[in-house]
This record gives sequence, structure tokens and C-alpha cells, in this order.
Amino acid sequence: MLKYVIKRIGLMLVVFLIIISVCFVLVKLLPSKPAEQFGKDMALIEMRREALGYNKPLIEQYIIFVRRSLIGMDWGVSEMMYVGQDVMKVFMEKMPATILVNVYTMLFSVPLGLIFGIYAALKKNTWQDHFISTAVMVFVSVPSYVYAFLVQYFLCFKLQWFPFQMRAGYDYFSWETFVSLVPAILSLGFGTVAGLTRYTRAELTEVLTSEFLLLARTKGLTKAQTTVRHALRNSMVPIFPMILSQFIGIISGSMIIENIFGIPGVGPLYVRSLGTTPPDYNFFLLLSAFYTLIGLGSGIIIDLSYGLIDPRIRMGSKK
Amino acid sequence: MKKLTALLMAAVMLLAIAIPSVLAEEPKVEYTYNNALSSFPTNWSPFQNQTSTDNTAVLDWISTSFYTFDYNEEGDSYKVKPLAAVGEPEDVTADYVGEEWNIPEFVADADGNPTEEKTTARAWKITLRDDLKWEDGTPITAHDYVDSWRLLLDSKAQNHRADGLYTGNMVVTNAELFAKQGTTADTSIRSYMGLLGVETVEELIEQIGEEKGYLDWKYSFGDTYDFEAKAWTGAAEGGVVETPLTFKELYEFYTVGAGGEYITWADEAGKKEYALDELYAKYEYPEMAPEKLGVKALSDTELIVILDKPLSGFYLLYSFTSDYLVNKELYEKCGKEEDGVYTNSYGTTLETTISYGPYKLVEFQADKQIVLVKNENWFGHEAKIFGENSYQTTRMVTQFVSEPATRLEMFLAGQLDVYGLQRDDMVEYSTSDFTYYSEGDSVFAMVFNPDMEALKANQETAGENKNKTILTVKEFRMAMSLGLNRADFCAATSPTNQPAFALYGGQIVADPETATFYRDTEVAKRTVVDFWGLSDDVGEGKTYPTLDDAIDSLTGYNLEMAKQCFDAAYDIAIAEGLMDEDDVVEILIGTPNLTSAFYNNGYDFIVNNYTEAVKGTKLEGKLTFDRDGTLANAFGTALRTNKVDMLFGVGWTGSTFDPYGLFQVYVSPTYQYDSSWDSTTAMVDIAVDGVVYTASASDWWYALSGEQVNLVNKETGETISAAYPDNKEDGMAERRISILGALENAVLQNYHFIPLMGDASAALKGMKIEYYTEDQIFPMGRGGVRYMTYNYTDAEWDAFVKEHGGILNYK
Repeated sequence: MLKYVIKRIGLMLVVFLIIISVCFVLVKLLPSKPAEQFGKDMALIEMRREALGYNKPLIEQYIIFVRRSLIGMDWGVSEMMYVGQDVMKVFMEKMPATILVNVYTMLFSVPLGLIFGIYAALKKNTWQDHFISTAVMVFVSVPSYVYAFLVQYFLCFKLQWFPFQMRAGYDYFSWETFVSLVPAILSLGFGTVAGLTRYTRAELTEVLTSEFLLLARTKGLTKAQTTVRHALRNSMVPIFPMILSQFIGIISGSMIIENIFGIPGVGPLYVRSLGTTPPDYNFFLLLSAFYTLIGLGSGIIIDLSYGLIDPRIRMGSKK
Repeated sequence: MKKLTALLMAAVMLLAIAIPSVLAEEPKVEYTYNNALSSFPTNWSPFQNQTSTDNTAVLDWISTSFYTFDYNEEGDSYKVKPLAAVGEPEDVTADYVGEEWNIPEFVADADGNPTEEKTTARAWKITLRDDLKWEDGTPITAHDYVDSWRLLLDSKAQNHRADGLYTGNMVVTNAELFAKQGTTADTSIRSYMGLLGVETVEELIEQIGEEKGYLDWKYSFGDTYDFEAKAWTGAAEGGVVETPLTFKELYEFYTVGAGGEYITWADEAGKKEYALDELYAKYEYPEMAPEKLGVKALSDTELIVILDKPLSGFYLLYSFTSDYLVNKELYEKCGKEEDGVYTNSYGTTLETTISYGPYKLVEFQADKQIVLVKNENWFGHEAKIFGENSYQTTRMVTQFVSEPATRLEMFLAGQLDVYGLQRDDMVEYSTSDFTYYSEGDSVFAMVFNPDMEALKANQETAGENKNKTILTVKEFRMAMSLGLNRADFCAATSPTNQPAFALYGGQIVADPETATFYRDTEVAKRTVVDFWGLSDDVGEGKTYPTLDDAIDSLTGYNLEMAKQCFDAAYDIAIAEGLMDEDDVVEILIGTPNLTSAFYNNGYDFIVNNYTEAVKGTKLEGKLTFDRDGTLANAFGTALRTNKVDMLFGVGWTGSTFDPYGLFQVYVSPTYQYDSSWDSTTAMVDIAVDGVVYTASASDWWYALSGEQVNLVNKETGETISAAYPDNKEDGMAERRISILGALENAVLQNYHFIPLMGDASAALKGMKIEYYTEDQIFPMGRGGVRYMTYNYTDAEWDAFVKEHGGILNYK
């Protein structure tokens, strides 16, 4: 197992290096010279570009990047988006807001998704199941920003139950902050609840019709006992990694939802880092490295999680 | 006794209740101005700020300039008044005569001031108030300004705003050399000549002809020349690069060699003119002692600024309405240098910010919220510099709210005090009593590429039976102008904008000393009327009694005439062999992206509009459009590099007080959208003091900039040397306006740059606040936060909103 994990981490680092190198080359190929501005001394801008090494050969810039950022872990200073500020510091300052809203969303949507899914499976082909399935189709099909505007309009504007925007400040665990996040949690959560409901219902329905459950019932177990002890546990094998992958993916943030509800998180940063001329290289590369690592790391964790849920699954076993 | 005791106890109890309420502090009356932005400031350092939001959201409130704009006494115009300074700058040039400051001995006029003929450099003494303080109470002295200006120009920092001290009107002696000392920079011929003090390119070549030559292939040609293969490669990358040629060889290549042959859009003189800005050599800036910089402190309150270029009156004061003061101690703490790269985080967070303006920063969360409160250590509050009711706002809260729909809901819920109306809101709110319209200073245009060679090349690429060269026919461009309903275009793209009929809008000031707006002058009005062909209809007993009546009648839309022009253009194109009868005209329109609603709606409108407009003409079914929506930052130069045939929604902003300087964008190939109009050979006749002179458009512009140029008397053929700088000479202001009007007309007559719409905006004002003036008074607007007053305190406002069910009606 340990050998397997080490091998996977080694491979992950190789893939990471390849991806980040490709990102580096591609971002450097984007237009980097700012447009001529009337009355501006463009030579001054050129001097800055020269000092930053933008005019050096690409390979030399790449070596500097690897040495300074990948090995030295110094991701530099923002030159376009947050001029003069350490990109890592800005990123870390924004990360908690993103994590917070997404953790709340998971806490809200996972139990609901599971409950609705189980209920629909148990009530298969009844009006309750049809109602849940129809609602699931609606919520899965409609993008989250549509809910966001609807939630904002009805709950924040018309009913005035919640503030329009997330509360300012860094007291993330206060009640006021939580309340201010409810509209965003609902908007983000509807889709997840629907997705999880659909998946749970499908998996559980399949397991509930298995022969081993019939055997369990004939042995004298109650319906509740067979469902909880046998059916649910077995159906969790594919569902749990799905929850885990969503949980790991949440830190990438949601650009649109964060924008709509004034959540000062990391969601919009990636797109913005490419929207300037020249791109904000340091920010883009930090974000690329971070998300690549998260993506690759989550792959390993999800694979390992199969073994934890179902002991029959053995990772790296040659037998 | 019992009664007495009871009475006493009752009295004590009453007092116990009453005294604390008497002694308790009055609740603090707060007037909070709530605002929301869709883009948030990130750097409000006076050295590094880059966006207007950086200024308007933070820097403007935490800083104080030497001089500032204010309403005039009548409240119907503006004036510039001292703020951090005391009185007007004093000319102390006589004290700085000598080589050190490049000020020769001069002949004094009756007032003891140096005469124009002998020197252009001037030394000015600015006396500062003695009560200037940082927000923590530390005094600010003239020495702080000297230190700050040196830090601003620190060559290792390459501060974004450093050029504020040497580009434009205000050129501080040695500022540019100081900012670039110790560096080697690609320096254009024009700049190199200035640095070496040589008059001609030949002299420069004599000195540096054997050094390496540099140029930007993409910018100059949009193509790269392979000197070994002696052929053009068809591709170019941006950026100034070394060539295998010496500087002398490169100049020859550019003006008379293969490069010169490539530049079909200019004659020999034009190529030489372009070369001044497009060819480079390396210049190493020598080290310079800080004392050589033209700023000095004589005492704590006396600051000397030595300027290279003549600057006086309004423009001198105007130059000091911007400020570059930093707290040296904090600034140095915020700086760091790694691998030879200096960065500084001053003015990026609460901790790195210190105020010396009317407000101070007390809360900041990136991309979330800014809170400013009154800075009690600012001299202006106690001195009531702007009157008793000024700065009533005690707190300013600015939030980041990216979605307009959210901003509108927050505004209606009383949580914001202003809301900038969007296109979709205009139906409901355009006629609201709370809607305020504000005119901007930009005119956006539709620009065409009329360069024959470039169009031929693009036409070949487009394929068989595709035509683009019809764009060289003036009648076609006229038809495009007359065939566009500007009002409908504005409604489709940005309903607050207004149709425009000239290069400059209504906010451009021709004579800032007298607050004369250019568009209000007779010359400017006549230019518009002449261009739109209404001259013969103006006068008593005619269709339009006055010029204003004629201008008010303009729509810029004449479909009937447009159809005639389309037919005429088609006939000319066929007759001249530019087009075959089975050809289809295909115009490639460039836009910066495919996501902007303005450009998407604009493109759709243009396509539909012209498809309809050519119906019934010989071009019916033969006028098509295509779009390149990938131009991004290359949008502005796309026409110049022949990537597209047409742009729309382009224009220039800024230089509101200097339309003469701004005119460079229409005559300089560095800035022109369409550089195929060679302003060095396009001759313009202008009557000055009753005599008609002729000179190139470029020369006329140089004359306005104060340079001596040759003008030919149209009648006698005699050549005179003249310049029309901004000075107080009798009649000069009128002459300059006349020249500007004639130049504006010359550009309009080309039909390359066709005005479409003037920049304007509309906003809803909340019931909580009142503006100082109902009308927009440039540049004061409606008084802003400085003069804003409140109908309700914060507590009263909350109660008011609650009373109305939490949603207010602004329709």
C-alpha cells in the first residue's frame, strides 16, 4: 500500500511538472505588450518589463521560475491585479472565504441529497419518487447563477430575510457571517443536492433489488435493518468518492456565485489573471500550480478512499 | 415624617433616573455615504495607482493636492484654488539662473520676470500651509515632498506614475534623466536627439550611426524582414528587437530601402517622420545626484519646483492638482528588492496606508469593502475651506458588488445612495426625478481603413469575388456615415450615450483661463455646421436662424443621401476597376472580444442597419460584414496593422483641458487609428488674423504645440515662420481655437474617423442625499462628496426605509 502511495505521488509530481511547464509556455505566448497610451512614457513600462525579465529568452525565464517558485516556493509579487502585493499572501487571504462557503454548502447539501435519494429509492415508483425525480431534473438542469438571482430577489430583496452580500470582515465563524452566507449556500447547494439525490437513488435502487438483500430479509432482518446495514453501505462505494471529490474540488471556488454574493474568495482570480495585458504571470502560475496539485492529489485520495469504504478493494495489491 | 421620607426617596429616584440621561452623551450623528463598485481598487499608492477606481475610491480622499478645482463664486463654473498651498506659485526663476538648471541669463520684463525669448525654463516657489499633517498628527513639510519626488523617480522602482513629472505639460528639470539613470533603454530617434541636443537625424547618425539599430516589427510593419533572404516573412512579434543592421543602415532600410518600399502609405517625408518614433538605439542614462532633480525645499513650507518647459497660469496650477506625496518611513518599510526587482506595497492595505486628506482609511478588505471616516487631522475640516456645509459625510462605505441587478436591489432597499443605470434599466428609470445624466469627455467613433495596398492584400486573402477596396472611395465612407442612425445605435448599445457629430464633445475646454468650452465657441459650432452641410441654411430668414438651431437639428442620419452615396461609390469603384459587378463587399470589423454586450449589440446593429440601408441601391445584397472578436489589447492598433477593415466604439479620453495637445492623436502615426492618413503631406488652409496660410496638418499641430513651423501665405506665396503656443498674447486664444477648428474639420472631411456617440452616463440618486448643484458643472460634477448634504441621518434613514416596507420607489 505504502509503495503504491509513493508511486502515485511520484507520478503525480511528474504530471504536475509537465502541466505547469505547459501552462508556463502557454501563458508566455499570450500578448504581453501593453497598448500604447496617449501621454504615457512607454519606455518606463519597457524598463519595468526588462527588470522583471519579460524580455529574457523563454527558457531562461522558465529556469528562473522553476528555481524561484517551484523549488524556492517564492511565487513573487503581482504586477497587474494586485500591484506590489505578494501573490501567495493575497491568495491565502482570500482562500478562507471560498472554503467557508463551500464547506457550509457541503454540510447543507450532502445530508439533504442522501436523505432525498434514500427516500426516493425506498418509495420507488410512487408519487413521492416522481416528485423528487422531477424536482431533481429541474435543479440539475438549471445553472446555479439562475438560482442565485432568484434567491437574491425573493429572499434578500422581497422578503428581506437575508443580506444581499456576504458580511465584510474576517470573523468568518460569527452567526452574522453565517446568515449572510445562506443565500450563497442555497444557490450553490441546490445543484449538489439534486445531483446527489439522483445518484443515491439510482445506486440504492439497484442494491435494494439485489438477491443478497432478499436473503437478508428471509433471514428475518427488518426492512430498516437491511436498508441501513446492507443496502446503504454497499451503495456508498460509488457515492462516497463522489462526495469526496466534490469536497476536494470546492476550494477552486465558484466565480459566478462569489461575484453575485460578494464573497471575496479565490473563484474569480484565475480568469482575471489572464484578463490583463500582460497577464499576471505570477498569479496565474500560482493558481495553476495550486489547482493542478489539488486535482492530482484528489485523484489519489479518491482512489485510496475506495479501499477504506469497501475492504475488498485493495490498492496496489498484486494478488 | 414618613411622607417626607417618601417624598425624598421619590425625588432621589427621579434624580437617579434623570441625571444619567442628562449626562449621557448625545448619540453620535452619522451620515454614511454608501456606494458600490463593480471593480475594486487594489493599489492607491500615489506612485503606482493604475486605474481610475484606485483614485476615486481611495486616493482622492486620503490625499491633498497643492491646488484643487472648486466652484466659482457664482456656482456656475469652476476655478482652481489653493489647498495644501498658500496663494499662487511665485516665479523665482531669477534665483536659479545658471547652467545647472539650464536657465541662461535673461532679460527681465517690467515685472522682473524673464522674457519668453531668452529662456523657457522656470523656477516656481510654492508656499505650503504650516498645518499639513498625516493622519497620526505628524507634520508634513516641503522636505517630505522633495523626498517623495525623489522616491517616485527612483530608477530601481520604475514607478508607474513616475512619468507624471516629465511627460505632458509639467516637465520637472532632469526628472526623466533621474528616473532612468543607470539604465539602458531603447530610445527613439526623437528622444535620442533631445537627449544629445542635436537638431537633425544626420547629426545623430554622425554620432551613433555605427551602433546597433532596433525596431518593433509588429508595430512598424506588422511583418518581419529577413535580411539574409531579403524577403518579408509574413509574421511579426511585438516588442523592440535588435536588428542585424547598424543604426545608420536601419534608417536607410526604413526610409529608402526595402522597409521604405513596404510603407506605401507615406511619402519620403512621411517615412522620415515615422522613423523618428519607430527606430531605436540603446541609450545609457548616466548616474545623477538627487540634488540635480528640479525640486528643492528652502524651508519647511517653501518648495521650489524647476520646470524645463514653459508653464504658467491655469496649466501651472492644473499640473499641481495631482500629487505624489508618500510617507517616507512607511514607504521604505513597504519596499523590498529581490533578484534586482524592486517592489513596494505602499497603499495596498490598511496597514500600508496613511492619509493626509479629508478622510482616512479605517477598514479595507480586498474585493469586498472600503470604509473611510473623516480625518480629524486634516486642516480643511477645522478651517472650513469649502464652506460650513462641506464634508457633511462622516463615513464612506464602498462595497464590491459586481452585478448591476444586485446593486439596483440594494439601492431600492436603501442600502446604496447612488446607482449607475444600465441599458436595461432605462425603460423604467430614464424619466425618473431621481435620474441624473452626466456627460463624459469622450467621443466614440467608427473608423475605416482606407489604405489601398492593405485593402488589396486583405481582399486577396478574403477570396474570390470579395471586395474591400471600395473603402478607399470617399463616397462609400460618406454613405456609411449618413446611413447610420446614431440615436438608434446609442439605444441599442448604451442608451445613456448621445449621438456625436464632431471629434470633441461638450466637456472639452478650449480656454481654461476663461472656462470657455470648445463646443460653445463660434469656430467649433461653424465646424460642425460646415461638415454636415448646413452652412447655407443658417442665418436670419433661413431654415436655422442660429448655429445652435442648426446643430440641434442634426441627427447625422440621411438615408436618402446615404443611398445616393452608395450608388455613387459603386459607380466609382466599377469605373476605376476596384470592383467587378459580381463582387461582394466584405468588411471585417474588429472588436476586442466576443463577450462585451456593447460590441455584440453594436456589431448586430451595424450589420442589420447597413443591410437595410443598401436596399434599393446598386450595393443591395452586396454589402456584408464579418467580425474578428479576438483582438483584445491589439484592438486599438488593429486598423493600423491592417488586421481589420473597420472598428467602432473607439476614441480618446482625457486631456479635457488641452484639446490642442490631444489633437496629436489625429496627426501622429503613433496614435492614429488609421495611420494611412499622412498628416505631414495633407495640406490645410487656415485663416489666421485674416490671412490664409497653408501648411500640413502635422505642422499646424506643431505650431499649436509652440514649435516654429513654416506657413505659406496662400495669396502671396510668401513663407513665414510662426508658432501658436498657449500664452497670454492678445488674440492668441482665438487664433488657437481657429486652428483647432480647421484641423478638426480636416480630419472629419476624410471620413476615416466618423464620430458616432458622445460618452454619457445616468445614475439614480438616493432620497437620503442631495447634490450641491442640480446641473453638471464641469469638472465639479454636482459637487461630489465634498458638498453632498443629507436629508436623513443614518438612524433616520433606517427608520424611513423601514416605514416604506424596506423597498423604495424611484420611478
